[in-house]
Amino acid sequence: MRDAGRRMFLKTAVGGALAGVSGCIQRARNLVGRPTATQVSLSIKTMPADDDPYAIRVAQRLANRLRRVGIDVDVIPMRTDELLRDLLIRQEFELYVAEHPGGTDAEFLFPLLHSRYSEESGWNNPFGYTDLTTDELLEVERVQTGERRRESIAELQRTIARKQPFAVIAFPDQIGAVRSGRLRSWADGGLYNPMEFFSIQRMEAEERSSRPSTLRVMVTDDRMTKNLNPLAVAFRSHGYVTGLLYDPLIRRHDASPIPWLAESITWSGEEIPAKEIATVSLREGARWHDGRPLTAADVTFTYRFLADTALGNGAVPVPAPRFQGSISLVEELEPIDDTALRFRFATPNRRTAMRALTVPILPEHEWEPRSHPAQFADQTLAGETTEALVANNMDPIGSGPFRFDRAIADETLVLGRFDEHFLNRGEPETGNWFAEDGFDRIVFRVVPSDAAAIELIAAGEGDVTGSPLSANAVPTIGREPDLRLTVDRSRAFYHLGFNIRTAPLSNPHFRRSIAQLIDKASLVDDVFQGYAMPAASPLAGTDWLPPDLEWRGRDPVLPFVDEDGEFDVARARAAFERAGYQYSDDGRLLSQ
Amino acid sequence: MGLALLVFQFVAVTAFLTAVAAVVVIGPRRLRLLPAELRQRVRIVTPHLLLLAVVLGLNRIARRIGPEVSWIIGMNITQSIHAVEGEFVAALQSLASPPLTTYFSFMYLYGYAFLVVFPVFAYIALDDSEPLREITLAYSLNYGFGVVAYVVFIAYGPRNFIPDLVDPLLYTAYPQSQLLTREVNVNTNVFPSLHSSLSITVALLAWETRDVYRRWLPIAWPTAASVVVATMYLGIHWGIDVVGGAAMAVASVTLARRWVGQVPRPVKRILAIREKLPRTR
Repeated sequence: MRDAGRRMFLKTAVGGALAGVSGCIQRARNLVGRPTATQVSLSIKTMPADDDPYAIRVAQRLANRLRRVGIDVDVIPMRTDELLRDLLIRQEFELYVAEHPGGTDAEFLFPLLHSRYSEESGWNNPFGYTDLTTDELLEVERVQTGERRRESIAELQRTIARKQPFAVIAFPDQIGAVRSGRLRSWADGGLYNPMEFFSIQRMEAEERSSRPSTLRVMVTDDRMTKNLNPLAVAFRSHGYVTGLLYDPLIRRHDASPIPWLAESITWSGEEIPAKEIATVSLREGARWHDGRPLTAADVTFTYRFLADTALGNGAVPVPAPRFQGSISLVEELEPIDDTALRFRFATPNRRTAMRALTVPILPEHEWEPRSHPAQFADQTLAGETTEALVANNMDPIGSGPFRFDRAIADETLVLGRFDEHFLNRGEPETGNWFAEDGFDRIVFRVVPSDAAAIELIAAGEGDVTGSPLSANAVPTIGREPDLRLTVDRSRAFYHLGFNIRTAPLSNPHFRRSIAQLIDKASLVDDVFQGYAMPAASPLAGTDWLPPDLEWRGRDPVLPFVDEDGEFDVARARAAFERAGYQYSDDGRLLSQ
Repeated sequence: MGLALLVFQFVAVTAFLTAVAAVVVIGPRRLRLLPAELRQRVRIVTPHLLLLAVVLGLNRIARRIGPEVSWIIGMNITQSIHAVEGEFVAALQSLASPPLTTYFSFMYLYGYAFLVVFPVFAYIALDDSEPLREITLAYSLNYGFGVVAYVVFIAYGPRNFIPDLVDPLLYTAYPQSQLLTREVNVNTNVFPSLHSSLSITVALLAWETRDVYRRWLPIAWPTAASVVVATMYLGIHWGIDVVGGAAMAVASVTLARRWVGQVPRPVKRILAIREKLPRTR
């Protein structure tokens, strides 16, 4: 009896408990998928002042604004190559402020924004932006010509200005200093393109007297002393140093093409489908720095290799990210003989097609062995990478006018003139000036700051700056009697990049609201001290910019939210609310 | 001015300061006796000097490879430091004036070098070798802690993180000085401040030896205080770096005091081997 009673009691107790539990589960199931709202929290990755004079200032100002609209923000300063690794290889970022090298032709937007590249590394869609309209515009722009192409490119710019995969901030001026009295015919904008190095000449007084002669370039960026791999995305910005060592088929300077390793190019378009075709004849007697002859086989190898550095031996192709956009323009390449090749391009535009001819030509005997998978690498997301992409290449064999001499990490890089280069042999179209008046050696010396660079040049220990100086340097240069200032607008642009792969940055309304917190005009005044051009499009300053995207005192698409020039917090917060976000009682922006 | 000349100037000024202080602090009597005693005294502290040499050597290597390792495994704490202390360094810099900048720049470069070098000579000149052993041990510990902290933490100083608010005063006033400081510092190694920890270490030991060197204390303390303030005033370090440096100094001195009488067994063995070697004169 007692037992039965006990059993009864147990039954009821367990049953009751079970009923209670199942009630709880019901409730819990109703709650699942409704996570408690927490404050929106973002990080901005950027470079410290030592590495970039402007980026951290832009990031800090934006961070302050974001905090005022109730977002929790961390600013994370990172060394340049580490930052680029996070942005361009690992895709580990939320927001970043950095410079994109830019370009004059709309072509660079193709790899930057096409959804096809959203899982690739390098400046190939680091944002993870996938938009059908954009893809379509990028594709038609490639095959159109004339006025129709212009209209597509205008529409493309409007689309990205509206959807904001990244917010263009400003195009900075390249500021440099040259010691007067030693050089003549240097470029107005300083030395940021190999062509500018080739056109530098010594003053006549010095020409006859001293041989060998040395050009001493002061740089604040030490990456060139540790890595000379033209394929390494984290170590190249404009890539001008590897441009001295490696020759392309053509070089472009001031938008006009100069035949380089190619002696001549014959263009012959196809009508249907409209495609540009080029027959390229290589310069006779071209040699690699190790003395071996450069042949059409090296050229075909280069294009095959850049498209897949694993040369077909990997599970998937492992392209060289820096040249992926350019390589995608080449549909077909076949050698005609040892010194001639025929290209068929994916575009009827000669100017666009030329971009494919500017990639560095690599010696097959050096790079073919680097097609095996790399150890300890983080280069690609699929886990596939090759030695070619991660090698430091500190014994580079190119065919450029300068060859590697020696380097000390973080201190110097020395290049010597390559006597067998055509520039030094007096080919008719280049004249003989390089051999006569050019420098025998280029010494890049790493200096800790702009101020140190200027002081060393003023003291006669250097000739010219090789890293862009900040606007702060301008008055200092002006005070030094022996220094000349060089200023030129850069095609590179500072921008705020969004990682669109995750919420809340996947929401275009959210990105637009953030973009409107950026006061580009006052950034240009205060941070860039006037040495920059505020912009709404990555093609601002080119003739591709449609009138409706021109800067008119304020951003034409997403103007800064202000009230008489002052930041209007209430209106900025209202924009986030309209985008569907809510504020807590104490003013924090809550995640959805 | 090239790096060689800068180094020469740096060594010359530091040597001059040390020489003047030697006369004032150590005094002619002790200095006269020193040459005769020197060999014997150095022999007693050999293990400690060896340890210091090893740690400094490691430190040199770590400066090269440390940042690379740091970027892989380290924590980037710059933002956290800033979040805790805010605009303290900027507030300090609001008092800046050209004479103050000159003073603190001098203290950061020369005052610091003098402060760290001089006591080694001063303590060699003492009959009692304990202060000498203690200071070399304390320096080694400071550098040892520093190497570990610099690998574990990535931190940029205020001049790099909030350049809108904090000026790199040393490097704007004396651009070339950065050629010099770059040889010993990496810009991601600001936490903790080694300048502060070594200065405070010297100050603590100056207190211990205040009875033998009565004139050292009134020199060491103001100099140490100036170096500590200079690290922040010049925009190089955060207040928290200095606090970290002070903690490191206290820990180093405490441990050095505890271990000063002991010689680790491997070092003993090396010394024993040395003793057995034939002497060459």
